[in-house]
Amino acid sequence: MTQDFDVMPGNKAVAHGVRLARVEVVPVFPITPQTTIIEYLSDFVANGELDAEYVHTEGEHSCMAVALGASMAGARTFTATCSQGLAYMHEVVAQATNYRAPIVMAIANRTLGWYWSLGPDYSDIMPEMNLGWLVGFVESNQECLDQILMNYKIAEDYRVLLPTMMSLDGFYLSYSQERVYLPEQEAVDEWLPPYKAPYPVDPTLSKAWPSANLPSQLHTTYRRLHEEVMEDAKKVIAEVDRSYMENFGRSYGGMVERYRCDDADSLMVTMGSMTTAARRAVDKLRGQGEKIGLLKLRFMRPFPKEEVIEVAEQVDSIGVVDRVVCHGTGGGMAFMDVKSALYNTDVRVPVKNYVTGLGGEDIPIDDLYMMGKKIIGNKGKKLSKEVDFVEHPLPSGAQPIDIENEHCVHPGSDGCAGCGASIIIRTLLDTLGPNTIVVDPPNCSGVNYAGVVKVPWVLANFASAPAYETGIYRALRKKGKADKVYVTSYSGDGGTVDIGLQSLSGAAERGESIIWLCYDNEAYMNTGIQRSGSTPLFAATSSTPVGSVWKGKPQRRKNMLMIMAAHRIPYIATASLAYIPDLKRKIKKAAEVTRNGEGLAYLHVHQPCPTGWYFDPAKTVEVGRLAVQTGAFPLVEVDHGEFKISVKPKELKPVKEYLEPQRRFRHITEEQLEILQTYTNGDWEALLKMEKEGRLPWY
Amino acid sequence: MISEFDKSKIKGLILNDIARKGGKYVANWRVYKPVIDHEKCVACGLCISYCPEQAIEPGDDGKPVIDYRFCKGCGVCANECPQKAIEMKMEETQ
Repeated sequence: MTQDFDVMPGNKAVAHGVRLARVEVVPVFPITPQTTIIEYLSDFVANGELDAEYVHTEGEHSCMAVALGASMAGARTFTATCSQGLAYMHEVVAQATNYRAPIVMAIANRTLGWYWSLGPDYSDIMPEMNLGWLVGFVESNQECLDQILMNYKIAEDYRVLLPTMMSLDGFYLSYSQERVYLPEQEAVDEWLPPYKAPYPVDPTLSKAWPSANLPSQLHTTYRRLHEEVMEDAKKVIAEVDRSYMENFGRSYGGMVERYRCDDADSLMVTMGSMTTAARRAVDKLRGQGEKIGLLKLRFMRPFPKEEVIEVAEQVDSIGVVDRVVCHGTGGGMAFMDVKSALYNTDVRVPVKNYVTGLGGEDIPIDDLYMMGKKIIGNKGKKLSKEVDFVEHPLPSGAQPIDIENEHCVHPGSDGCAGCGASIIIRTLLDTLGPNTIVVDPPNCSGVNYAGVVKVPWVLANFASAPAYETGIYRALRKKGKADKVYVTSYSGDGGTVDIGLQSLSGAAERGESIIWLCYDNEAYMNTGIQRSGSTPLFAATSSTPVGSVWKGKPQRRKNMLMIMAAHRIPYIATASLAYIPDLKRKIKKAAEVTRNGEGLAYLHVHQPCPTGWYFDPAKTVEVGRLAVQTGAFPLVEVDHGEFKISVKPKELKPVKEYLEPQRRFRHITEEQLEILQTYTNGDWEALLKMEKEGRLPWY
Repeated sequence: MISEFDKSKIKGLILNDIARKGGKYVANWRVYKPVIDHEKCVACGLCISYCPEQAIEPGDDGKPVIDYRFCKGCGVCANECPQKAIEMKMEETQ
């Protein structure tokens, strides 16, 4: 069986696995370091290499719900996420178990805030461990691809019929290049036939479907049955591993892998990508004559209890390396499970825990070697301390440059050259003054500018920044300071028009006197330019790439102006970084409205992004100006229901002049251009008509 | 003290601090360097408003002065200058 290989990152190996499995529905929402999985998949779909329904959802909660719906309706389904995204899915993740939906989900592990990090540890998957999913961890990019295929085979087996999570460590696997062998499509097709749901939610096929209702008297019984299914899954996992070996020539040992365990008298237990370094540490110790072995936990749910006991019976000392802390227990996740697996047995050996690599810190071979030495030294001892935290001092970095100025922002940010967002921040904060609190759902400005502003900048969760603002505003109001301190967001378009919309709508309807500023760069720039609900028609993004099938984003953008106007809030305006005096006037108006306690003021500021729109950074302001002059982004305001166009060119320039400098539009055809021009003209005429009417009738 | 982050009175609590000073040295990003011709400059201030890095401030005569420690060389100032008084010059390689 000859197989082609390629050198690729783990995320691409996952995507190839999904392609080879001929997955039918792929709901997505970007989050680092998972995002490139869905980008590679969008490339496959755009070029006709994968014939799947690809769903750009507006947030992870919906993403998991689409996956669940699709799987229940009988489609082979895949999705991927991590960290905050997985936490946001949590409610739907729990639901997938009793609906018996064999979803395969990849988790490119990343720390779950608090403290924020993009690097991996298992704090994101820990809260999902006990919901009834099968949860596995992989060590290499090859294992990523193979495990995706194996997970479909396991999950769709009627003895199991459960969703599966596969953890690949963010960065260490997701973005690291390794050699990966690609199985032949025909061989995969033969081994993994199409999924046939036993009871699909499809009245043309089945009169019955999985239920969520159960009398409370039977809960205990069905939870017990679920445990039996999880036990049965262990057999299926082992079977599938053997069958994969027979068909594709690779085996990973099923529930666990034993490395140099045969004559071992001490044992190190690991999981995920750290195992590769642990192998080298064990090799080194073996070279010195030490009889140490390594047990790699491939599945954590179901937990490989029998395998752990079997190895533990032959050794005199065990050390468990954990990349997570279960706070309040004193140690890590695998440690608790290993320890409790051994309690009602005759095994009485010291079990030590090493907690390390949190927040994505590297776990080097030297550290694992030292842990191995300690494990060997623990033989026959009674431990005085169960858990060691393996810590390192912070290397000294560059110091900020001391500078005095009267602005509310310092120069010297991490923003891209030519970044428009910084122009808007400076105008916003210099206009509102130092008694301002910025609430910031995750976006590139939070990453780049939170460290250089001189006002409180509170990092909020993606879907709930307006509620954070509400909380701060209400506390200030209670303490009599609502007219002295401004509470404003600095949100991107994703945090406004997509994942944040529900919370924003709530705050607007309740009449919270806060400012919502959306800097609209028309895509998720922070995760690498994926389309948002504000991305214009036909624009190419990394999740709407141009290929033989796809021709850029096929939908028009949301009309946020009218969505907010429907809430009858006192002030709404669109603005642009190219028209600073107009922007300043509108910020002042928003300040006045909120200071008077009249309700929410909404500012939607157009922000050309040289990195995401692919134009020369020198043209940031020029492109912004062209957007206004061509009518692609009109500047208007709704002041207590009175509608006005703020900047009215005598004659609109052709929209082509605005599109031309931007490479995200370079593929557009004459026909597409005509459609864009027609929509732009139509929108402009509608605005002129509304201005003539003056007052929006529903205010 | 455990690290430079350990400034609060509460064990394990990390603080953001408004009093933190200044930004980073980002001049090493630059390929082209803006150079202002003060003869042509009419002190309109557009380059100051539009500089994405806030690296330009008015000097004593009201005309703009660039703090090259913070200039990333994007060229917005030169592109926006109505007097064409700013030229982007290739940085000399060392």
